Amino acid sequence: MATPVTTPARILVAEDQADIRDLLAMNLRSAGYEVDAVDDGAQALARHAERPADLLILDLMMPRMDGLEVCKALRQQGSATPILMLTAKSTELDRVLGLELGADDYLTKPFSLAELLARVKALLRRASLLAAAQANANAQLQQPKVIRNGELEILPAKRQVTWRGKAIDFTALEFDLLLHFASHPGHVFSRSQLLNAVWGYTHDGYEHTVTTHINRLRNKLEADPMRPELILTARGAGYKMRDIS
Amino acid sequence: MTVRLKLALTVFATGIVTALLVLVTVVYAFQRFEHETAYRRGSAFLSRAAAAYDNLFEMHERQPDELRAWLRNMVLFEPDTQLYLLDLKGTVLASSGTARLPSGFRVAIEPVLKAVGQPDAAYVMGDDPERMDADAVVAVQPVRRVMIRPDAPVVGYLYLVLHTEQLPADRWAALRMSVTRPALWLVGAVVTFTTALALLIIVSVTRPLRRLTDAVATISQRGLDEGAAQAGLAAIEKSNDEFGQLKSAFDMMLETLRSQWRELRRLDHFRREGVSNLSHDLRSPLTATVACLETLEARWARSPVRTEPVDAPSASSLRTGAQDDDRRLIEIALRNTRNAARLVQSLGDLAKLDEPEFSLRSEVVDAGELIGDICVRFADRAARQGVALRAVEPGRGAVPPFAKVDVELFERAVANLVDNALKFCPAGAQVTLAASVEASQVQVRVADTGPGIAPADLPHLFDRFYQSRQSVAPATGEGGKGLGLAIVKRIAELHGGTVAVTSTLGQGTEVVLSVPAAAP
Repeated sequence: MATPVTTPARILVAEDQADIRDLLAMNLRSAGYEVDAVDDGAQALARHAERPADLLILDLMMPRMDGLEVCKALRQQGSATPILMLTAKSTELDRVLGLELGADDYLTKPFSLAELLARVKALLRRASLLAAAQANANAQLQQPKVIRNGELEILPAKRQVTWRGKAIDFTALEFDLLLHFASHPGHVFSRSQLLNAVWGYTHDGYEHTVTTHINRLRNKLEADPMRPELILTARGAGYKMRDIS
Repeated sequence: MTVRLKLALTVFATGIVTALLVLVTVVYAFQRFEHETAYRRGSAFLSRAAAAYDNLFEMHERQPDELRAWLRNMVLFEPDTQLYLLDLKGTVLASSGTARLPSGFRVAIEPVLKAVGQPDAAYVMGDDPERMDADAVVAVQPVRRVMIRPDAPVVGYLYLVLHTEQLPADRWAALRMSVTRPALWLVGAVVTFTTALALLIIVSVTRPLRRLTDAVATISQRGLDEGAAQAGLAAIEKSNDEFGQLKSAFDMMLETLRSQWRELRRLDHFRREGVSNLSHDLRSPLTATVACLETLEARWARSPVRTEPVDAPSASSLRTGAQDDDRRLIEIALRNTRNAARLVQSLGDLAKLDEPEFSLRSEVVDAGELIGDICVRFADRAARQGVALRAVEPGRGAVPPFAKVDVELFERAVANLVDNALKFCPAGAQVTLAASVEASQVQVRVADTGPGIAPADLPHLFDRFYQSRQSVAPATGEGGKGLGLAIVKRIAELHGGTVAVTSTLGQGTEVVLSVPAAAP
């Protein structure tokens, strides 16, 4: 076997503004990544086809082909490469659009480099975890690991949830959040801890996403979402899943 | 009282007055007609009688009983009459009646002379010897002695009292009279009919006015665009009368208002677009600048120069001094650029929130839970500042403060309030968050024991770019340039809520953010 030399992750940056492009490239390189930088979306697609990158950083507004189109094209090709979208528009609509079309994360300008680097790291980690999980799932299909808490049953490999004997569908993030809670029943997590653990964010300002997702979990799992019995609030501290066992 | 009712009442009152006048005239004319007829009949009868009997006075002198009998016979031909023979002074000499008159009884002589002297008179009213309380129609014929002379002197008068039907003294009895009753019915019918007709006409004439009023009401309720579409102005028929003119004037006014409104909207749209575009265009250069400064800062942090042991004390202390200055310069530039970036972002966000098509992504959340989480978010900063930040636990029996809100925006509003409170609070102060339900409103209170706000500043606190002159706080965060609280206000408005502030200088400030509570 080859020596396990960890090759640096390749990042493709597509940004039409030269200054920002250079700064991104400079900082990503000094953070230890291998960086390819291009001017527009069309070039990004071409370059990615030539030499696939591990992560794409796309500006939303670019000449010739904008970030969303690149995103769409890549996902249609079946590529699962994580995409970080940079946008100068902070509208909700744009965010939703970006994520629905297959971007994995987004940053609104102006952003801090530290945050960008943290997001890049989180995205790459998640991608590798996912790959590992898929490899694991393929390997251990015979004996899937089951996480149980009372009447809650989670099959992480199949991403299946059964609650009180009924199968319930969850979106990817909802599932990850539920899995995180179920893996540590009775443990209290603050919103920023959850954001960090499940979303991979390290920066302030997105905690409301956690609130929204906890709300959704409660709506799907609780008999009365206004009086939760499974996902409880620890006032002034955070949230926990009641340890039923 | 509506105009319709007023008009109808006017028509009704006019009708009644006219009818009464007509009635009085009719009754009067009827009476006069009766008098005239009686007078003519009486006069004709008397002249015939006088022509047939020319020796009446002689008969009176010689055989008074015979004259009385003749008089009685005469009145048999004319029912309801009494015939008298008078002398020249009006003294009653003989009577057809059975009533006994006092001797020398005299009737007024003026009517007698008038009847004789004015043969064309319509009728003459004179004394009735049997009923002295009321006048009666009288006919008079002069009586002469029997002489073969053309100018034989008048020696007396035949005096015929005709008993016409008199109006009863009692008014109600007068109304019940055979003449007035049918007339009254008729008048009543006419007045009713006229009033009904008038009402009908008034209703049809004032219908456009009514519609116009309805249209105005609809527009004032629903607004210029939607209201005008629903007001049904087109349904009002076109006419050239005053209502038609009013309607076209109203249409013109509406058109003017609409065009001005469109213009305002257009300008407002441009303003928002302008702010939005400006904010958008500023983002890239700011991003680049921040990234540059951050790169430099990171290099300084990694720079070996600062950690290197000092060889030549004098030279290196000079160098490190200069390097410390450089580092500070970068820090200042970075902090200010970040503030500018935040401001630009807030501006863009506010422009976004102002857009009419902006929509909330609402979900039901427990505001009590949310303020707890917000406290956790700000815990580090509060601790660094030495400010006691806490969320009040709701009472046991309290209604849980559930509200349907856009979590991101609502949290941002509350966070802005906390950020603002922390910014102005000195070490040792307290910032307290509480959520409760009052009158189906979820109220989130952010109270601090900070320096308070001057009363003069309170009304403008939530205005854009308003910054208290007293405030000496550095421009950090959204509140730094007076946008944070404007964003709070806009978010409250978007949720159909309000934000209110009370403050006492030297004691502290309390801001209450209210939004409608979610139905349990």
